Amino acid sequence: MKRWIAILAVIAIAAVLPLLLSPTGYWIRVLTFTLLFAAMAQVWNIIGGLANQTSLGHAAFFGIGAYTSTILVLKFGISPWIGMFAGGFLGGVAALIIAVPTMRLQGHYFALATLAFGEVMRVIANVWTSLTGGPVGLSVPFVPPSIAAYSFKQLLPHAYIALIALIIVTVIFEAIRRSAMGYRLRAIKENPAAAEVIGIDTTKVKLQTAVISGVLMAMLGTLYAQVAVFFDPDTVFSAASISIRVALIAILGGVGTAIGPILGALFIIPVEELMNDLFSSGAAGLSQLIFGVILIAVILWRPRGFITVFDSLMARFSSKARS
Amino acid sequence: MGGVYAVISIGLTLVYGVMGIVNFAQAEFLMIGMFVSWFAWAYLGLDPVLAAPLSFAVAFGIGWLVQGQLIARVLKAPSVAQIFLTVGLLIVIENGSLLLFGSQFRSVTTSYQIMSLSLGALFISVPYLIAFGMSLACGLALWWFMRTSWFGRAMRATAQNPMAAQLMGIDTALMYKIAFALGVGLTAFGGAVILPYVTVFPGVGGQFVVLMFTVVVLGGLGSVAGAVVGGLAVGVIQALSSLFFPIQLQNLILFIVFIFVLAVRPQGLVGASR
Repeated sequence: MKRWIAILAVIAIAAVLPLLLSPTGYWIRVLTFTLLFAAMAQVWNIIGGLANQTSLGHAAFFGIGAYTSTILVLKFGISPWIGMFAGGFLGGVAALIIAVPTMRLQGHYFALATLAFGEVMRVIANVWTSLTGGPVGLSVPFVPPSIAAYSFKQLLPHAYIALIALIIVTVIFEAIRRSAMGYRLRAIKENPAAAEVIGIDTTKVKLQTAVISGVLMAMLGTLYAQVAVFFDPDTVFSAASISIRVALIAILGGVGTAIGPILGALFIIPVEELMNDLFSSGAAGLSQLIFGVILIAVILWRPRGFITVFDSLMARFSSKARS
Repeated sequence: MGGVYAVISIGLTLVYGVMGIVNFAQAEFLMIGMFVSWFAWAYLGLDPVLAAPLSFAVAFGIGWLVQGQLIARVLKAPSVAQIFLTVGLLIVIENGSLLLFGSQFRSVTTSYQIMSLSLGALFISVPYLIAFGMSLACGLALWWFMRTSWFGRAMRATAQNPMAAQLMGIDTALMYKIAFALGVGLTAFGGAVILPYVTVFPGVGGQFVVLMFTVVVLGGLGSVAGAVVGGLAVGVIQALSSLFFPIQLQNLILFIVFIFVLAVRPQGLVGASR
């Protein structure tokens, strides 16, 4: 019961917060991207956390989603809402294509293979100029603002859509974690051989998580395209700013927990924005350098993520309460 | 090119072989090696190829510190922490050099830069030949070191079974330091010898990172002999794909080979030696 009150309180705060920010301001943009990246990290968490497969190629699905919906608008005038599902479908297909040969790989090997897959998609998007516009990128065409056309004058609706997306993917994450599938995944994580022996089809379960994660990631790609309005292959298929970043958010927050990606995004995205803001006038590379230093420091300090800070705080409080 | 690919990748495979860590920042040490060699050329008038030992030494020192201060702390942490520590290193080194050296491209001019030898119908460019020769010498030196010296044997023992090695009185923490420093040093050495025909800038590591990983995975992560075979194979793949495909697709071919090899034979073409 107490849990539910806490969860509702957090959602209520999140729902009110965008209204307090200036609708044309800078911080609403930061908030929108924080929510969006939290959702992306949560989606990554389905495969990275529950199936314990460190994917470094989620930009592949993200980019597919961004490109599919935008190309559908540009060429056929189809609403991004429908394009989002088309992108999700293609994202799922792509996830299947890469997951079938690589699912048996573990740890570093899987990370490398998925990293390469993301890069393959980036190269293809750069080369296939007739469809994607090549390195120049695509602009989402301007249409009169309406909900049906997924076009708004201000960022406020985008912030709410991102919030809803975050809630949905978090619910999906929790649902999978608590389902029979979640237990199977945990068994595989603890001991793959034993899981196989008791009759779990390990490959099938991992494939399912990969496809779910791919579909959702592609759908979030559409949300990104609608907020960013302009993108090119090197941004949406970027290994550093998409694939690695979403994994990083989940890892810093706490892999495999529903709250982890949210904590991670609340930390990383504003810190990055702050760095860019503070040091953009300084020398090139300084903000990124400091970001890298913070990253190393956090990993050395808490290899299992921020969530452990809360756990140890909790433990301290409860032991005090007892004594 | 194949021989050079082998040397820059041996470093990566050595680090993995001994410590079980994939160093995502490895290609940044290539960049460091290139910069050291460039500065030696610009201010000391040293030929970049002769400056290679200096590059090796600088990277060795940095690697020693990085291993002792940073990586040693995550050796027992989950693999995600290891992956992201080296990713953090990559970001720090790349942007650090951007701050220090700026984003301009730098290259060297040498007397032999545009010379080439003709062997019948074949023309071999001299800088490529020198780079190949230096790489070969370096690879042989490493092989000799690992085979015959006490350190080499101790390091291989550590790779096979750290616990047993420690019980035998081997300082495994020291071995890890040597392995990591040696690994990044070799990559920096490779960076120096390719300087006559590759321009250096802070993002240059990014151009080689895929290539290095493809080489290593082709040969089997952790196998030094595999890296040599993989290096030659990648050189051949690149040469062949440049005959049939436009330049933008060359990397794509490498990526696809890379994923294919990972999927079909993750232990590498040569087969696992450990």
